[in-house]
Amino acid sequence: MKERQSVQWILLNTLKWILLISLLAVAILPLVWLFISSFRTNLELQTTPFGWPKAFQWTNYKQALAMASLPRLLLNSIIVAAATVILNSLVTAMGSFILAREHFRGRDALYTLLTAGVLVPVISFMVPYFSLITKSGLYNTLFALILVYTAVNIPVSIFLVTAFMKSIPKELEEASVIDGCSFFGRFFNVILPLSRSGLVTAATFCFIYSWNEFLMAMLLTSSIESRTVQLGIKFFTSQFITDYASMYAAVIITIIPSIVGYIFLHDKIIGGLTAGGVKG
Amino acid sequence: MQGATMQSKKIWGARTLFLLPVFILFFFFFIYPFFFTIITSFTSWRGIGAMKFNGIKNYTKLLSDATFRLALRNNVIWALSQGFIQVPLACIVAMILVRQPFGWKTMRTVFYLPNVISTVALAMVWIAIYNVNGPLNAVLFKLFGTAPRNWLGNPDTALFAVIFQTVIYIGYFMIILLASAMNIPKSLYEAATIDGAGTLRQEWYITLPMLRGNLVTTMTLAMAYGMRHFESTFLMTGGGPAYATTTMGIDLYLKMDALRYSEASTAGVFLIIMGTLVITILRKIFGSSDPMSEMAQ
Repeated sequence: MKERQSVQWILLNTLKWILLISLLAVAILPLVWLFISSFRTNLELQTTPFGWPKAFQWTNYKQALAMASLPRLLLNSIIVAAATVILNSLVTAMGSFILAREHFRGRDALYTLLTAGVLVPVISFMVPYFSLITKSGLYNTLFALILVYTAVNIPVSIFLVTAFMKSIPKELEEASVIDGCSFFGRFFNVILPLSRSGLVTAATFCFIYSWNEFLMAMLLTSSIESRTVQLGIKFFTSQFITDYASMYAAVIITIIPSIVGYIFLHDKIIGGLTAGGVKG
Repeated sequence: MQGATMQSKKIWGARTLFLLPVFILFFFFFIYPFFFTIITSFTSWRGIGAMKFNGIKNYTKLLSDATFRLALRNNVIWALSQGFIQVPLACIVAMILVRQPFGWKTMRTVFYLPNVISTVALAMVWIAIYNVNGPLNAVLFKLFGTAPRNWLGNPDTALFAVIFQTVIYIGYFMIILLASAMNIPKSLYEAATIDGAGTLRQEWYITLPMLRGNLVTTMTLAMAYGMRHFESTFLMTGGGPAYATTTMGIDLYLKMDALRYSEASTAGVFLIIMGTLVITILRKIFGSSDPMSEMAQ
């Protein structure tokens, strides 16, 4: 009896680790492969798809930064992501403050409406977004992307920040009112500083979205002056068609911000996800 | 009295001021587009000029359109594979990690990593992996001696190939399920162990029922994603070869690109309907739990 149990235990454990390791491998090997390939020569890439580079080819990275309009695209992406994060945090902080800390009729309905936005497939809005942006004269500008990204992230941000602000104890606010804090005082001196952690979580999701977004950028911009790196990877691959090594180096450059951000903020991201299963 | 009214007027002014930016953005990018899509789907509008009402013509045309029907079929396959393969896999991983094996925290972090990497970058990698001379064929040849395939170029394997690569994203669902699995009281498992129930039985009779609500939520998210899928397929195959991998989203984009705006809107309405249908059906089947409110709480 004891023996049978331990046999079963060994079997289950082996199965468990095989499953975990193979799924982990599928999840990260593509990235590892990309990273290693970005240091190999084109000849090496053509002869065998796998393999360690004979010598690390830093020239691939130099080539990538020199050939495509990568620096310009990177700058555009940084501007768009930074502006989106700032704008989204600002409007979300203000809106969530009212939704979380003030009492009035229709508040819950408004909150439900705003957060129900996560259920709407934004890709079905390609036509109206395009017509809205074109009509307002914003087509092919960075501001168009900033505006769309800020808006698209509102449901998730409002959800995260409102939940966070609701968890702040009432007593803190009441004390400040007794101390003579006005509406604005309560917002700036009490709620805003205490909500920093929630705002950072929302901002992280917002940054990841804006940095990685592809469809709207393709739809709403048409020239190098206002395109982002994601479009760069997609459309400048034709420039690299014989130079895969440099293309892989370019792709690595574009994912560095996401990976660095993830290393520092993964606790915030995981915490934000477990707050209720929201996806931007 | 006078003072009080003024005070409340001031408060209302401030409240409105604070809510206005969020509401304006939400109005222009959610409410207006929603009605715009529905209204234009009943017109023959090509982007310029006045909209002319043409009844349900776009709808009948779309439903008899072979490409769109293929897209619809593909989206259903997408939704089913996301809901019934992706989520169960994520659930199994969550069940393993909740028992905190060696390195579980690191594994949790690594499993989520692909979710923060851009689809464009990963699509580039998968194109290389699926290439005739790529790593996948090399591995398969070494292991089984199989002849190289053009995974994305062959209509028989393309849909499978674009769906398979989503396995790298299970971390998202896994983290949601893991968080709620961690909240299951340990005493339940202890009692079960005393009663002589093995690990598998414990998972089946304790963990799964306790995770029910979150399983429904993640399945809803996964299947709704399957219905609105666009990006990685568009980047890897553009919907081809011979429309084998096309989806409603890609069909919408191509119609718009051809300036058939109102037909694109009709496809958009279908997208919204199919997403809503998924949510409604799952709610009907699993009754008690309420993914909608769980998601938008």
